[in-house]
Amino acid sequence: MREQPLKEVTQLIHAIKVGLVEGSFGITNKTLDIFKYIIISKSWKNADALMQIVRAQCRILQAALPQETVTSNIARRILKLTREEFDLLHAKVQHFADDSQASLSLHKLVTQTSESNVSVDYSVPQQGLREALLDHLQEVETELETSSENICVQAEEHIHSSEIILTLGHSRSVENFLKRAIKKRQFLTIIVAECAPASRGHNLAASLAAEKNVEIIVIPDAAIFAMMSRVNKVIIGTHSVLANGGLRAACGAYTVALAAKHYSVPVIVLAPMYKLSPLHLCEQDAFNMVGCAEDVIPYDSIPAREAKVYSPMFDYVPPELVTLFISNTGGHAPSYVYRLLTELYHPEDLEI
Amino acid sequence: MSVSSQALTMIKTNDQVSQTESQTSKAKPKKLRQRNRPRNKRNRVEDSTATTTESSTTTESTMPGDNSQQEAATREQVMAEREAKKQAKQAKKQKSTPPATKIITEVEQTTITTKLTTTTTTTARDKPEPPAATAAPAAPIAAVTCTAAAVTETGDKTRDQIKAEREAKKAAKQAAKVAKSSGAKVEAPVQQLANLQVTEKTPAPSEAPAPAADEDKKKPALSKAERRAIQEAQRAAKAQGQGQVKKAQPAAKAPVKSTATHTAPKELKRESVSPVKTTATASPSKNSSGSAKSECKVKLFNHLVSAEKGASLFINDPLVHPSMARLGVQYAQRTVVGSNARCIAFLHALRQVVQDFETPAKKEFGRSLDAAVQHHVDHLHKCRPLAVSVSNAYKQFRNQVTQLPADVPEAELKEILVHFIDTYIENQIGKAAQAISSSLQEKITDGDVLLTFGCSSLIQFICEEAKRRQVAFRVIVVDSRPTCEGQEMLRRLHAHGIPCTYVLINAVGYVMAEATKVLLGAHALLANGYVMARTGTAQVALVANTHNVPVLVCCETHKFSERFQTDAIVYNELSDPNELVRDDKCCLKNWASKAHLTPLNLNYDITPPELVSAVVTEVAILPCTSVPVILRIKPDIGY
Repeated sequence: MREQPLKEVTQLIHAIKVGLVEGSFGITNKTLDIFKYIIISKSWKNADALMQIVRAQCRILQAALPQETVTSNIARRILKLTREEFDLLHAKVQHFADDSQASLSLHKLVTQTSESNVSVDYSVPQQGLREALLDHLQEVETELETSSENICVQAEEHIHSSEIILTLGHSRSVENFLKRAIKKRQFLTIIVAECAPASRGHNLAASLAAEKNVEIIVIPDAAIFAMMSRVNKVIIGTHSVLANGGLRAACGAYTVALAAKHYSVPVIVLAPMYKLSPLHLCEQDAFNMVGCAEDVIPYDSIPAREAKVYSPMFDYVPPELVTLFISNTGGHAPSYVYRLLTELYHPEDLEI
Repeated sequence: MSVSSQALTMIKTNDQVSQTESQTSKAKPKKLRQRNRPRNKRNRVEDSTATTTESSTTTESTMPGDNSQQEAATREQVMAEREAKKQAKQAKKQKSTPPATKIITEVEQTTITTKLTTTTTTTARDKPEPPAATAAPAAPIAAVTCTAAAVTETGDKTRDQIKAEREAKKAAKQAAKVAKSSGAKVEAPVQQLANLQVTEKTPAPSEAPAPAADEDKKKPALSKAERRAIQEAQRAAKAQGQGQVKKAQPAAKAPVKSTATHTAPKELKRESVSPVKTTATASPSKNSSGSAKSECKVKLFNHLVSAEKGASLFINDPLVHPSMARLGVQYAQRTVVGSNARCIAFLHALRQVVQDFETPAKKEFGRSLDAAVQHHVDHLHKCRPLAVSVSNAYKQFRNQVTQLPADVPEAELKEILVHFIDTYIENQIGKAAQAISSSLQEKITDGDVLLTFGCSSLIQFICEEAKRRQVAFRVIVVDSRPTCEGQEMLRRLHAHGIPCTYVLINAVGYVMAEATKVLLGAHALLANGYVMARTGTAQVALVANTHNVPVLVCCETHKFSERFQTDAIVYNELSDPNELVRDDKCCLKNWASKAHLTPLNLNYDITPPELVSAVVTEVAILPCTSVPVILRIKPDIGY
């Protein structure tokens, strides 16, 4: 059976494709709004029906926007919420005191996994599920809204004065993070690699240059290695965090991470929780997108007629090149990402 | 042969000025080496484009040059002079009507070259040494070697020069206004324009033949110069006033003439005052267009002085030979780039200097030549820090000069030195490239995917050779902003029918999986085994290394340096930071007004030896660490 996309979903897909909605945060917010709308206005009888709808719409989004993983991440969050709420209510109905949510001892962890194998019948209609879900969604929304701020707060913990920081391209989290750092610490030097061909680094540099007490250096991508010998920390944003702790980040991040590794410079990745996706992609071709090559070489130049010109959008950065993730809940090692994923999403929702 | 004709087609097809510039400069080494026919043809192509694009400007800029030229030429070559006169007359006639066609003769070529020398360095006229005077007759000889390529750039150069001088003229005008506020004679008759040309001619011959009498003539010359400066200022003021009314013709006419008149007085003045001072004082006024900042805003790079791009640097030195002055401009404007190209251009200019050198009275040939060349090298260094290849060549040349035998006539000594220079070019650059190429041919087999970065004449040579052998391989050209030299490389390889892939450097990880070998050019090899090359080379090597792709650095031994360096910051070269600004809409556009924001445009980076699998030299394929060995045995190679 083919699912029909909701009107809202098609609108969102269009907006993203046209570029009206930009940035992971914006897309996440919009997606969340859609799912909220589904919960409120769609006539679903039980949890199972709701999950069907969410899954269907998520699949549509995924097919239309394969590179935007945040949409499915949010869908997974919704699914997990639904399951939890249902379990909670179900437990309440049975007057069964269940403290599995509260404490996670090792014993519980073991028993919990075994528990999850026990299939729960979600098709039983449950009173008050809608209200409980909306309640919980509110929490997710606030978490989203404060995620950037929560990451920024940690700036002081990671940056000392007169530090030389290198970043790449233009990530909003990095921008806010660095702005906070500039306010709190003195004599910072921030090196911005421009990230050709879009050169979004220029925007970041211009934005940061409005602050005081900081030195901004814009370098071409070629000079990353040359400058890395003086850099104390690399702070980059990412498009999404993969299940193994690797990154799908802006093109050029791989070189930055390699150069940092070469000079033993810590690489800090700012990734709010909604960017964690339970995907295992270890190869470039698996997820990369090739952008417009006009910026790389003008179409009307003679060699461009015959030469193959690539302008990939993303780089895969293996987890061993990442030192630390900073999310809105705190710092995490790349090896811990799998654990965060199990907390964040239900194992059965990894495949939508 | 094929190379030059290829260069010709490139010029025709390529319409972007910047690309043309870089490309001609890069095509140059080959040109010079081959000294073959298409030169004339190529001239015509270039020249006609130059004349059509801004016809009036170009022809008129020829004028002053021609005039002074004739005077000089009378003594040397009557024939050449006559033809030059004809040329000049024609040009004069054509002044009113924009010339559509130009007769290309040998003399025409010389006029173009001298035009170049006179516009870039007005010193030619006042030069106490013979080089300036002999420039015209020497040009046919020079033309064979050097001018061909140089001429192609003339159009652009003069344009730039003229622009700069226009700015200078405006500045001078303002200065003069302030100085003589009483001077009510703002209205300068148009006749003065004609007069100026005549007066301008007179001092030139009087000074050129008698360098010794220079001191005596200073007084009249100075007053003349002052007078001319005043006239010029008046005329400039007038031109400014009328500028809006009739734009095209006078606007084109005025600045060019002022070029001659305006720079001449400066020249004379600076002979009486200390030379350094005048240049310094002249620079701010002349420099209104160029960025005259001497030190970088980035603290890390305070020790690196970015080259000053003021026009004054190139104009005001009578002791610099025109060929060297031209080379200096080419260095500074990056029309001659690439280690090899720079070295060859330097050696050709050096040969010119040697040939035109006249030993001052009661001086030894070797020592005075040494001093003169030292001065030239200093000048070049000011224009752009010397390439390692150039300084190595200079070292070798100097070595040769000190070892010159005594009791041999000067002409023979010159012969020895010229021969030395020729063999240096042939052996150290030409044959070395062949040797490297032939040793690399074994490594390139069917199905290979070579990854290269930027543009290297040597890699290009190797690829062409492999193509000639009918090896089925393809090339991935990695490039980086802001120079985008890889586009040039792509174009050259494409012209040879080599299938290419082109990516920017941040996508190098994307294509590295396909590559089977990485071939990199180098600017220099340092004594500790580090490779100094265009920024980005280290990154490519790093990514290749992690992908376990062998990295071969191709480098002739004449680029080996005795310097030790462990990072790219201690010693480097800074290019114009404005190159990073993409366009007018770019956020960086007004970076200079923001106190904390600095674009940084590094020229080179250092690749550590552990990232390089081997260095391919004409001696052998070596590990990086063997560089000191080569350095030690180096004097025995090739001589």
